[in-house]
Amino acid sequence: MENATVDLKPHGEDLSGRVHQLPCCVKHDGPASVSHYFKPKHNGVSDEGLPLQEAHFRGRLLQGTTLQLPQGYSGFVLAKKTSPASSKQNSNSWDTKATFQDITYWNHDYVPSHNDEMFRAFHWLTVAKALHDPVTPEDLSSSSFAL
Amino acid sequence: MGSKILPQWASKPCAMGIDEAGRGPVLGPMVYGCLYCAQSYMKTLATLSFADSKTLKEEKREELFETLKTNESIGWAVDVIDPRELSAKMLKKNKINLNEISHDSAMGLVDRVLKMGVLLTEVYIDTVGDPGKYEMKLSKNFPSIKFVVAKKADSLYPVVSGASIVAKVTRDRALREWVLDETAENMQRNFGSGYPGDPKTKDWLEDHKHHIFGFPTLVRFSWGTCNSYFKDVAQVLWESDNLDEDGGGGSNSNGKRQLKLSNVGFFSTSKRRSEEVESSGKGRCRFFQARKLEHLTNF
Repeated sequence: MENATVDLKPHGEDLSGRVHQLPCCVKHDGPASVSHYFKPKHNGVSDEGLPLQEAHFRGRLLQGTTLQLPQGYSGFVLAKKTSPASSKQNSNSWDTKATFQDITYWNHDYVPSHNDEMFRAFHWLTVAKALHDPVTPEDLSSSSFAL
Repeated sequence: MGSKILPQWASKPCAMGIDEAGRGPVLGPMVYGCLYCAQSYMKTLATLSFADSKTLKEEKREELFETLKTNESIGWAVDVIDPRELSAKMLKKNKINLNEISHDSAMGLVDRVLKMGVLLTEVYIDTVGDPGKYEMKLSKNFPSIKFVVAKKADSLYPVVSGASIVAKVTRDRALREWVLDETAENMQRNFGSGYPGDPKTKDWLEDHKHHIFGFPTLVRFSWGTCNSYFKDVAQVLWESDNLDEDGGGGSNSNGKRQLKLSNVGFFSTSKRRSEEVESSGKGRCRFFQARKLEHLTNF
């Protein structure tokens, strides 16, 4: 497999508050006048205490909520590097174009809750940490004792 | 909107007419209006030259609406259904068709007037769908009222003609004063009547379609008319449409038409694949599947 490089730098535009995940696939890549057409309205709080928003897209009613990325994590918008040095047709080097600290995700027809995949996906971070944290001799002895 | 003070005559047996405006148009709100009065006033009502609102000129309708508002022997109310609500309901995962929305609106008006304390004994209403079934539905919900469901009720019963003026004038005003949600430049307000055949409406739709967003939210996306404008706009695939194909669709009596409506918003020739809409975590352990976390080695 060809080498890939991803350059994660905390620079570029901060897109916090403007990153939306929709429950559909828009078959288009490129800029769109989102702020002129997509008008989320704050709409109270759910039973679980999540602040809710409401918006319409292509006639569908969407219900959404904004989720902060966990401490120590950032969202990155990447673009392929186009430096003359990597003039190879299929360069696999990526550069940071923008960053974000939250995602607003939208459901079609149901109220957002902590049971939604978007929230649950972040459980992986806790699991990954447990899996990848260095294990100390003390950890080992206590766990073998427990067994 | 409607009469607020409960008049003296409301405790005597009253009759009410219900009619709709803006059911056919591809844009703007649909309005249900009602007009009620004491049974003893019905004869006088017939002399007030209310006719089916469609046969009257706009100025005449406006004038009649203003007179009936000041008439203390008449009460009225309207239910304005926003085009965003119409689109959203008709494009839900379990789609609600326009007839159901209409029935609910009419029954909502009956309920509202009853709750005000008006002694309704008779309600006249233009039919939506089969008159017999509609009458049964209404009588079941309001057993104390005698319902007269008829085709062209608006030209047969003055109390319905009055209701049609209330509805039509409210719809026209709502459209005239409509504030577009969208803030893009070059948004015009010359929508015409909103009927799909109106050349002004056609031009407006053509000028206001958007490659990503389809149309401004004034437009009822669930109308078949929209499809003809969507041939060259970006295709949008929805999770809910994938569900439909798995047989999870509604148990709607109008199933066939509703299925077609689910295609609104994209030009459907290619086969839809759920993977295009969302990641799946397919083939991974349950922890990842349940969270739709896919393993990505390349992007």
